[in-house]
Formats: sequence, C-alpha cells, structure tokens
Amino acid sequence: MTLLRFFKRYVVPLWHWYLAGLVFLFLTNWLAVEIPLRMAAGVDALGNDPEAVRTAAFTIGLMGLAVIAVRSLSRVLFFTPGRLVEFRLKNDIFGQLTKLQPSFYSKMKAGDIVSRVSNDMTFVRALVGFGGLQVFNVTLALAMTGRKMFQLNPKLTILTLLPIVIGLAFMQAGVFAMHRLTRLSQTQLSSLSDRILSLLQGVQTIQDFTAEAPFLRRFEEENLEFMGTNIRLAWIRSTILPMLGLAGSTCIYVLLIVGGPMAQRGELSVGQLVAFVTFIAQLLWPLMSLGWLVSVFQRGYTSLQRIDEVLYAVPERPEGETPESLASAPPSLHLKDLSFTYPGEDTPALQGITATLHSGQTIGIYGRTGSGKSTLLRVLTRTWNPPAGTIFVGETDILDLDLDAWRGNTAVAPQVPFLFSDSIAANVAMGPIDPARVDQATIKASLAEDLKALPEGLDTVVGERGIMLSGGQRQRTALARALYRPANLIVLDDVLSAVDQETEQRLIDTFAAIGKDGQQPTMLLVSHRMSALARTDHVLVLDEGKLVDQGTHSELLTRDGPYREAWASQHEDQAPAVQAEPEAVQ
Amino acid sequence: MNQAPVPPKDLNFKAIISRMWPFAAPSGGLFLTALILTPVATLISLAQPWLMKAAIEEHIEGVGAGAASEMGLDSLGKVAAAYLGAVALGYVVRSAYSIIISIAGQKTVLRLRSHVVKHLLSRSPSFFDKRPAGALLTRATSDIEALGESLSSGVVTILLDVLTIIGVLIAMFMLEWKMTLLLLAVAPPLALIIELCRRRLRQTYNTIRTSLSTVNAYLNEQVNGMEVVQLFNHQKGSHDGFMERNTVYKDATIRSNVYDALMYAAVDGIGSICIALMLWYATGRAEVGITAGLMVAFIDYLNRLFRPLREFSGKIAIIQRAGAALQKVTGLLDTDESIASGSKTLEQVKGEVVFEDVRFGYRPEPEYEVLKGVSLKVSPGEVVAIVGSTGCGKTTLTRLLSRCYEGYTGRITLDGVEIRELTLPTVRQAVARVRQDIQLFPDTVKFNVDLGNAKLDMAQLESAAELVNADRVIASLPDGWQHELTERGANVSVGQGQLLSFARTMAYDAPVVILDEATASVDPVTEALIQTAIERILERKTVLVIAHRLSTITAADRIVVMDAGRVVESGTHQELLAAEGHYAGLYHAGFDSDAAQASPAEA
Repeated sequence: MTLLRFFKRYVVPLWHWYLAGLVFLFLTNWLAVEIPLRMAAGVDALGNDPEAVRTAAFTIGLMGLAVIAVRSLSRVLFFTPGRLVEFRLKNDIFGQLTKLQPSFYSKMKAGDIVSRVSNDMTFVRALVGFGGLQVFNVTLALAMTGRKMFQLNPKLTILTLLPIVIGLAFMQAGVFAMHRLTRLSQTQLSSLSDRILSLLQGVQTIQDFTAEAPFLRRFEEENLEFMGTNIRLAWIRSTILPMLGLAGSTCIYVLLIVGGPMAQRGELSVGQLVAFVTFIAQLLWPLMSLGWLVSVFQRGYTSLQRIDEVLYAVPERPEGETPESLASAPPSLHLKDLSFTYPGEDTPALQGITATLHSGQTIGIYGRTGSGKSTLLRVLTRTWNPPAGTIFVGETDILDLDLDAWRGNTAVAPQVPFLFSDSIAANVAMGPIDPARVDQATIKASLAEDLKALPEGLDTVVGERGIMLSGGQRQRTALARALYRPANLIVLDDVLSAVDQETEQRLIDTFAAIGKDGQQPTMLLVSHRMSALARTDHVLVLDEGKLVDQGTHSELLTRDGPYREAWASQHEDQAPAVQAEPEAVQ
Repeated sequence: MNQAPVPPKDLNFKAIISRMWPFAAPSGGLFLTALILTPVATLISLAQPWLMKAAIEEHIEGVGAGAASEMGLDSLGKVAAAYLGAVALGYVVRSAYSIIISIAGQKTVLRLRSHVVKHLLSRSPSFFDKRPAGALLTRATSDIEALGESLSSGVVTILLDVLTIIGVLIAMFMLEWKMTLLLLAVAPPLALIIELCRRRLRQTYNTIRTSLSTVNAYLNEQVNGMEVVQLFNHQKGSHDGFMERNTVYKDATIRSNVYDALMYAAVDGIGSICIALMLWYATGRAEVGITAGLMVAFIDYLNRLFRPLREFSGKIAIIQRAGAALQKVTGLLDTDESIASGSKTLEQVKGEVVFEDVRFGYRPEPEYEVLKGVSLKVSPGEVVAIVGSTGCGKTTLTRLLSRCYEGYTGRITLDGVEIRELTLPTVRQAVARVRQDIQLFPDTVKFNVDLGNAKLDMAQLESAAELVNADRVIASLPDGWQHELTERGANVSVGQGQLLSFARTMAYDAPVVILDEATASVDPVTEALIQTAIERILERKTVLVIAHRLSTITAADRIVVMDAGRVVESGTHQELLAAEGHYAGLYHAGFDSDAAQASPAEA
C-alpha cells in the first residue's frame, strides 16, 4: 500500500527517465558481453590471422568509447529521477507541514520531522535511484553475461560461479550485521551528542562548582562505548565485505583448474578462457550490489512509512466542504460552556467558560500562570480547535468558519515571540513588505527607537543567522507584526511582560488608540499589569481554567479575589481604591 | 552555525597528519604495523596476475616452461594452488591492515574528542556568548567523525593505493615495457577526465552540503514557527521559501550525478580501449610473443591500476571534508579564551568581599562600559541585596566575582587578596553561584545535587536538601534521589528545579553565595518553599543577592541600589524608603514586572 501509493505518485510520473535509462542500461550490458567476445576472437587469432586481430582491436576500441557515453547516460538517467523524487517529495512534505496544526506538532517534534525529511529521505532516494538501477542492472547482467557464459560452457559457468554464491551468502550476513551495528552506533552517537550538548549548556554551572572531572568521566564512558561499536563495525568491514573479492579470485582459480584442462583438450579456446576471466569480473560487481539491495529495500520501505506519517497526516479542518465566510466587521464572541483539554492531559485547561465578548470592545484577561489564558486565546484563534458548539462568532460556530478567512481577520502577538531568521521588516510583514506600513507598525509597537541602534535598521537580519534581539525587542517585533495587518480581532498575549515602565505606558496608550480613527476592532489583551487592564472595557478573571469573575476593572476591585489581590500587591503602599468603597473591604 | 561556510581549502595530507599527530601518536605502534603491512599487501597483490599469466602461458597455451616452472611450479595444479595461496594470503594481510588502521583511527578520534570536550569545558563565558552550543556540538561530533573517517578510510588507504599504482607500473614494465608505454598513452586523457570531473564534483559537493544544511535549517525553523506562519496566513510564502532552497539543492545534486557517472564510466571505457591497444600492438609483432596469458595479466594489472584511480575522487572528497572539519576543529582549539588562573590559594576563606572602583565593559570602547567605578564591601556573614533596573550592571558585578570575565580595572578582593591572583579553583570553591536560569543535567537527581563530587555522602546531601526544602521535591519524585531528570530538567517544574539548585549550592558549601533570584512564576506552594529556603541560605552564608522578591530584599542586612553601572544608594529598607530616592521609586513600581508576577500572593 505504502509502496504502491508512493510509486504511483512519485515514480510513475518519471517513467520516461526510467525507460530511457533502461535502453542505455541494455546497451551497456550488451557492450559488456560483446567486448570480451571480440577479445576472445582477437586472442584466438593472435599469430595466425593479423587481419582478424586488427578488426577485433578496432571494434573493441570503438566499443570502449561507446561504453563511456552509454554507461554515463544509464547512470545519469537512473539517478536523476531519484533526485527528482527527493525534490518533489520534500516539497510535498513541506506543503503538508504548512497545513498541519499544533495537534500534530505536539506529537511530532521538529527534530523528528527534520530527521525524517533529511535522513529518511536518503534511504528513499537510494531506493528509487541506486535500487532501481541495480535491480535492472543485475537482471540484465545475469540475463546477458550469464547467458553468454552458459552458452560457451555450462559446466565451467556453474563451477566458476559457485564461489560467488557462497561469498554472497557471507556478505549478506555481513551486511545485516553491519546495519545492526550501524544503528547501534548511531544511537550511541546521538546519546554522546546529547551528553556533550548538556555539558555545553551547563558549562557555567560545571565551572562554578568545579565539577569538570566527574562530568568528563561520564563523557569518557560513552566516548569509549561508541568507539567499541565502531571498531566492531571495522571488523565486519575489513573481514566480511572483502570476501566477495576473495570469492571472485577463487573463481579464477576454479577457472584455471577446470577450464585449463578443457582448453588443453580443445573443448574451449584460449580466447574463450580469457573472455571468461572478464565475464567473471563483470558479474562480480552487480552481484556484490545484490547484497546491499535487500537492505536498500528494507530501509527504503521503513523510511517511506516514516515519511508517510507526515505526508499523509490529516490536518484538522472541521469547517467542512463549504465553510462559512466571515462578515468584515469586528466580531462579537460568545463562549458557551467552553471546556478544553489538551490531548494526552488529564486535567482540562479550560472548564465551563461562558462569556460574551462584545464587538469592538477591548477585553482584558487576567489570571495567574497556568490559569488557562493562553489556552483561551489558542482556541479563539483556532490554533487548537475548540469542541463544537462552544464558541460562536456572531451566530456562527467558530468551527464552521473558513479557517484562512478567520485568521486573515485576526492579528495575534503570542506570549512567546517567534522570529524567523530574516530581516525585521520581513518578520513584521510576514509576506509582501509595505515599507510605510512597516514603519507605522514599528512606531506603534515602540520598536522604532531600537531599530535606530541596529546596524541595518529594518533590514537587520535577526535570529540564528543574524543579530540576537533582547527579549523585549523580540516581543515588540512580534507586536509590530500583529499591528502591521489590518484586523478585526486583535489578540495580544502578555506583550507587556518584558518592557520597562515607560514603554509599557506608551504601549498601553497605543492599544487604547487602536481603531479610534476608524472601525474599532475587538481586542483581547492578556496581561498582569493593572495599568493595562484598567484601560479595558471588560476583564475576564481566570483561575485554574475557570472563569472566576468578570466585569470592569473598577467593579472587580470591589470584590474579593485574585484580581484585587494582584492589584493590591502592585500598589501595596498606595491607598487602595477599595478604601473608597468601604463596604467591599470585608 | 554563525560563521559562513568555510571554503574548503585544499588542506592536504600533510597538514592533516601534522595536526592530528599528537592524538595519533599513542597508537603509533598500530600505525607503524599498518605501514609495514602496506608493501607486503602490495607485493602479494602484484603476484596474483603474474601467477595467472604463468598458469595460462606455460600450462594452457603451451608456450613452454618459463619463470614459474623454474621456481618449481611445474604443473597447472601447482601454479593454480600458488595463485589461490596468494589470494588467501592477500585477503588476510589486507584485512589485518584494515582492522589495525581502523582501530588506530578510532582511538585517535577518541582522544581528539576528549581533548576538544576538555578544551570546551575550560573556556570562559565570553567564549560561549559568541558561539551557539549547536555549532560547538558539531565541532565535537560531526567534524571529528569526518576526521575519523579520513583516517580510517581516506588518508591511509591512499598510501596503499599509491604503492599499488607504482608497483603495478613496475610489474607491467618488467613484463613488456613497450606495450606498457603504449598503454600509458591513454593515461593523460583519462587523468584529464578524472581531474576535470573531480574539480567539478568538489564544487558541486560543496554546494550540495551548504544547500542541504540551508534546507534543513529552514525546515527546522519554519516547523518551530509554524504556529506563527499559520496565524498570519503565510503558508504559501513559507512553502515558496522552502521550494526555492530545495531547488538549489536539487540542481546541485543533479549536476553531481553527471560528473559522477562520467568519471565512473570513463575508467570502464578506457579499460576496453586498453584491450584494443594491446591487440593492435600484438598484430604487428608476432615475434615478441604477446600471449593470451600476458594479456590476461595485463588486464588484471590495469584493473588494479584503475580501481584506485576511480576511487580516488571519493577519497579526495573524504580528505577535503576532513580538511574542512580539521580547520574548524583546530580553529576552535586555537582560540584561547579561558580565564587565567592565579597562583595564590587561601587556607580558610572567611568570606570578605570587596569591590574597589571596579570598571568593566564587555567591549573595550568606553561607551560600552557597563560598570563605571563600583565600590562595595561585603563583610563575612553579611547579606547584601543588589537592586536596580535591567541593565544597571548588577549581574555583571556578580559575574566578575565568580571570575567569568577578565579585563576589569580596579580591584576585587576575597579576604583581602585580589581574586585574579588566586587560583581558579580557590575562587570557585569559595564562591558558589545560584544562577537565574537553573541548569539541570539529564542524569539522576543525586548527580544533579552533588555534581559527581564523591566526597559528599548521602547524609550531607540529605541535610543540604532538607535545609532548602528540596527534600520534599525529591520525596515527591518516583525514584527519589535516583530519579532520572530529562534534558534540561524538563520533567521537574521550574520551582522544583530552583529548590534542587539551592540544594546543590548548600551541598557545595562555599562560604560566599551569589544568588541571582529567578523571576519565573511558580505556584504559591512552591513559592512559599522557595522563600523559606532563601531565608535559610541568607542566615547561613555571606550572600550577594540580586533580589527580586520583596521578602528577600527586606531580609538583607543592607540594600545596594545600582543604576547605570554605579552604586547610587545603600542602606536598609526603611532607611532607603525614607530617603525617597531611587529605591523608593523602584519599590513603588513593584521593582519590576517579573517580581510582581512572581509574588502576587505576597501582599
């Protein structure tokens, strides 16, 4: 099934490559039979028919030139589709990855995916490139060279090829053992890498606590183990793999003691004996590759299955065939008994939340770490799909909305900003760059000042291959990204956590001003900062996944609960507002 | 990963050997044995075609007795047996050679890797600031693997190859020198094709390597940021970016196929052309006696000549990879960014710490000065809290005390001795640092607390843990002290990790503790445990604490307020509040956001 689907989708469309390859492979093998035969004729004519020898020499020379062209082409024609399959498969996998959602990524980590796309791909490529070539090559070589040998002398053929068959059995065993050990060595290498990485990441602590020696000891243990496996691999590589060469030479021995007397008796010409030597050498390599072929198929198949787990993973798109499009207006959101549990978790992250978020309002969300704030935003942006019938946009279940349209209307600044290794402008625009709007967004996000200090301003490349921004700068870049696009729903998750007081105040003013000049978007603002929450229209207070309170900032301050506690801790010394409403103090 | 791909210079054989020699030397005996086996293997391999020739010429064609017969190999059976013997012996010698060289190579790699890791462990923080852990890891793993490969399969077999080529040529000349000369006429074009392909291949292999790593890096990043890509409907742009990079890679691989195939086929075709030449040579000279046996021997010799030539490109590639890897590894080994150790030691550290007009910048230019003349005295047993907004230099100050950076002016003394004059272990055993980012290792809880220090017994560990409430954490883990933490302690919570790191510090028992309070939010129960733990540490040690918690600040004997690289205020909580200066401002602002977040239940 896996193989069939793969062949239909990727190999069959490249049939013309393989067909052309097959033609040239046939020619290659034909030449491989003809050349020794001409040589045999030439050798037999030595000393008695110079003309025949000269003809043979001339033909062989021409054929030799032809071999260069034909063999090159046969290899190119077989290996190129292997590369093309790799290319298309990788593109398709990536396309699929852009459709898959966190529910998928929570199960398969980035490292695992990269490994499938790079390591497993190598085996799939080997399957369609090397594997394809060798299957045909072995078949053709046996059918053509083998057949010719048999025609010349069946008894000699069988006897001389016997050592190769025995050598092949040894080699097959060696190849299997080698793969087992290679896998072991790879596991050990990755465990060794993990250890070194943990040393590097913890180097400060190791130095602070002068603990170098014990750490090195543990590292050395693994280093030694890894070497041991590699030496065992070297044993196989040095003893078993060369056995086929040994077998080939033994064939020559058989040829001498069996074929020699035949030639003496005249059952075989000396030239034919010489041709046999060449035939054996020619069969040796395709047969040798047979030992690898089994494992090429095994590994290719296993890898293909691993790749299919990504390629055919089903994206979660519950909106059905005809998703509802969205009115271009700030949405009002109705949460109806919304509960949500992450897959694999026991405790729900959200529990029975019912609330209405009115169109055009700014809604503050407050809660301690782990209270479910970010989860609430995630289901609202459908990063994770909520259960059906729990969130309505106007009258429509959010799940029935076209996902792309819904997201096109929404701008999000997540709690943990993610920047790509690209220019700041590209990071802000996330698509075609409109310089004027990028400027505006960075000013709104209070990033403009920081940009002046960067070597190339907006064109400065950030991330792994560029400059490292500070936590606050990263956060504000992500904020600029959210403010860049026109949106009817703006979601800001804790974007004030890494900014200083002054910037905080400026940003809060920015948020309050958004949309004041035109249509006021609905805005969700998660924050711990009372100064920010005080400016919202309505605040939801979450605790342990439940909505424990809601109301305006001043309403909430009149009631006992986490909100007032937080307010008090941030304004400890000031006269708390509750004093103005003495009845609420009890 | 930060640096541009190093253009692989032709770091040759010699450079590799000379740089690797110190690590290879302890296996010198093995390398020498292999070296001795090389000519033996070559000779045996040369004998085989000669015996084949003798068998065919003297016993099958019936040309008459020749050299072999004179040596006593006077029947077909005997010559064939001799041939088989040579084959078997050749197999044994070659295998032995290959094993010996592999073992020697592996041991060399083992030593080199140990050396690199040791070297890394002794670098200063500034070294790590500049280099991502991932890139360093590549040095210690993949690059060293490439070197190992070059030792066990590349460099050393090349020696065997070269000897074989020379030997084959000599044998051929001895058998029929004129014909050999004629055959060598094909060598220049063959060499030309091979060299041409080799050059092209080298370029394309470079492109393949760099473009593949670009593809993988892009993939990794996009996958990590997929949530953002999707939230901003950027899927198509992201996919296009991938295909663009993937195309560069594909084009390079397809180019490499062409040269690879051509090189492979050229050797094959030229073999046939050689046969043609031999036959042609034989026609005019029936009198020189070109026999079938001679031709078979020559074909065999030519194969032995061409095989190393064909594999040459592969081996050259291995050596080039090794050369590039070696450049990176030695580049790493040549950097000397370590902290210079002094020579003085202290018998019994009391824990008096004095900073005198300390100035320091991470870069030499004056505008980058972070500390602008800090003076501060901490008496033994005293607890000094340093507060100040982000970037005021408080972390830098404590880092200088634990000798993370060189190059400050002014004096920092420990019990009256400048710390630069003390040995590194002396300073580090006197000053323990609790970092803000807790570093946990994928190992047992016990190892994470004692860090492998065998002198600490269980009783000491347990009392240290109990003191800072870490005993409760440990008791709550399924395997207690033997519980295996995962990568970076992902299977314990942040708060639990903090308590474990406190236990580590108490077990280490240094008189001076630098405590950089973590600001991550933890649940109220753990928060309470952490607060008591900190109080107990403060009671027992000389502590310099970068404080975020109000409770820690008020518990300090003295509070030092820093701003823009200077100490601006100093005194107790009450004094400073009354002064209504900088401290009062910070206090009213809630110190910083993180502190407010960390202790919402505090008020």
